[in-house]
Amino acid sequence: MKLNIETHGGTTLAIAEGRLDFGAANGFQKQLEQELAGAGSSAGGARAPVAALILDCGGVDYVSSAGLRVFLVVARAAKRDGVAFSICALQPAVREVFDLSGFSRIITVHADRASALAQAGHSSA
Amino acid sequence: MPALETAATVQDAQADLQQAQPGGRESAALPLTLPRPPLNERMPVLRALRSADAALRERAQQLLRPDHRIGRAFDNIILALIVLSVASVLVEATPGLPAWTRGPFRIEEIVVVAVFSFEYLLRLVAADSRLGFIFSFQGLVDLISIAPFYLAGVDTRAVRALRLLRLLRILKLQTHILENTVAVRTRELAEKNASLEQAQAQIKAELDVARALQIAILPASFPARPGCDGAARMIPATTMGGDFYDFIELPDGHIGLVMADVSGKGVPAAFFMAVARTNLRELALHHAEPGACLAETNDVLCAQNPMELFVTVFYCVLDTITGVLRYANGGHNPPYVRRADGTVEALSGAGGLVLGAMPGMSYPDHTLQLLPGDRLVLYTDGVTEAFNPREEAYGTERLIAEVRANGDDGAAALVERICHSVSVFAGGAPQSDDITLTVLSWSAPH
Repeated sequence: MKLNIETHGGTTLAIAEGRLDFGAANGFQKQLEQELAGAGSSAGGARAPVAALILDCGGVDYVSSAGLRVFLVVARAAKRDGVAFSICALQPAVREVFDLSGFSRIITVHADRASALAQAGHSSA
Repeated sequence: MPALETAATVQDAQADLQQAQPGGRESAALPLTLPRPPLNERMPVLRALRSADAALRERAQQLLRPDHRIGRAFDNIILALIVLSVASVLVEATPGLPAWTRGPFRIEEIVVVAVFSFEYLLRLVAADSRLGFIFSFQGLVDLISIAPFYLAGVDTRAVRALRLLRLLRILKLQTHILENTVAVRTRELAEKNASLEQAQAQIKAELDVARALQIAILPASFPARPGCDGAARMIPATTMGGDFYDFIELPDGHIGLVMADVSGKGVPAAFFMAVARTNLRELALHHAEPGACLAETNDVLCAQNPMELFVTVFYCVLDTITGVLRYANGGHNPPYVRRADGTVEALSGAGGLVLGAMPGMSYPDHTLQLLPGDRLVLYTDGVTEAFNPREEAYGTERLIAEVRANGDDGAAALVERICHSVSVFAGGAPQSDDITLTVLSWSAPH
C-alpha cells in the first residue's frame, strides 16, 4: 500500500493506492494512525491539529476483511480524537464490499475527492 | 586439544602429517592398537611424566593464545623486539659508528635473544607435535634468528637480518585472530538459529493444536430431518483463519444455519471465531427471528472485543416441514439459491453491519420460500477469492456456473463438486484464506 499525504487547511487528505489485504493491513493502519496523531508532520514543526481526515481510495482496487478492519479501527480512533473521518472515491468493487459489510452505514463515504473536501471544509469552517 | 590455535599454521599441520609421530594424533585415530594396554598404563613413572607434560603444554598454550590479553601483549613485545633488533642490525652496519655504541648493542642483543629463546621454548612446549614445530618453516626461522648468537665466532649480522621473516608470524597471527573471531561468531549464530528453530517448532506445534481444536468445534453432521439434508466443508488456509459454519437444532424443531468469516487471521481471529460461534449458538436458542439473534450477538461481541475484530455472519432458520427460510445478514456474502429449474440467484434483501463493529445495530429479517429440489449454497469469500498461480480469482461466475450445472446433486456431492472445482482452479497454489462451503438441500417431507 502506498499512502500520500496532502494538507488542505485543517484537513488531512490521505491518498491510498494498492491492494489492502491481510499483509498490507497492519502497516496501513499504523500510517493512518500516525496521520491522526499528527506525527507525520514535517521535521521539528508542530502542525495544527487535524480537524478532518479524508481517505481517498481511488487507487485501491481490493479490500479484504482485514483491510475493512483498518477502516473500522481508524474511524473509531478518529471519533475518539474528535476528528471527522471520511472515505472517498471508492472503486465499484470496493464500494460493493463496503455496502455488503454494512460499513457504508457507519463510515461517511463520498463519491469523489472534491465533494469530500467541500464537505470537510464546510464542517470545519 | 584446547588451544590448537597458537602454533597451528598450515606449515605446522603439513609437518605434523609428515612426521607420523607415535602417540600423536595418528594413534588416536587408530583404536585397533588397543588390545595391549598403552605404555603409560604399564609404567607409572612414564604416566606421571606424560600428565605433567600435558599440563605444561596446556599452560604454554594458554600463554600464547592470540585471542587473549596475555597472549596479545606477548605478541606485541615480540613484534617490538623484532623491529628493534632488525633496526639495530642496520644501524650497526653503518660505517664509522663510535666504539662506545658496541656495549649497548651487545646488551640489546642479549635481551632480544633471551626473549626470543624463551618464546621459542614456549612454542616448542605448546606445540601439539614438537618435531613438527622444529621442522616447520616458522620453527626454523625462529631457530635461525637465535642460533647464531650461541655459535660463537660467526658474524651473525646477516643472519640476524633474517629476523624480518619473523614478522610473517605476526601477519599470520592477525589472520588467525580474524578467522577465530569469525568462527566464534558463526558458532554463536548457529546456536541462535537452532534455538530460534526450536522455538518456532514449538509455536507451530501449539498453533497446530489450536487449529485442530478450532476445526473440532465445527459440527460433524447435519441434524437428521426427513426431506432435508446439509453438508459442509472447510479447507483451512495456510495461516490460521476464522471461518466457521454451524448447524443448530432449535427448540421449535427448526434448524439454524450459520456461515461466518472473522476478519483477520491467526490466533486473534481463531479466538474471536470461538467466542462468536459460542455466543451465536447460545443466543439462537432464545430468538426465533434471525435478525434479533444477530442484533443481540452483535451487542455481546462488541462488549468483549479488545482486538477490534469483527465477523461477517449469515444466519438463517429453516422450517424443515414447510420449507420457509427466514434469514438475516450481518455483512456476509449473500448465499445462492439454486432452483429445481436450474436458475441460480443470490438471496436478496438489505443486510446489516458486520458483527462486533458497533453495538446497537439492527438486522432486517427476510423470507424465502424453498421449493422441493432447491439447494441453498452458503460460502465465504475464500471460495470466490481463491487464487490460481496466475493470480486470478475463482470469482462468483465460476461458482454460479458450478452450482447451476450440478444443482441436482445431493448436498454432500455438490459440496465436493464445488470444492473440487476450486482446487482444480487454484492448481495447488497456497491459499491465504479459509475456503468454506455449506449446501442445504430441501424437498417437502411426505
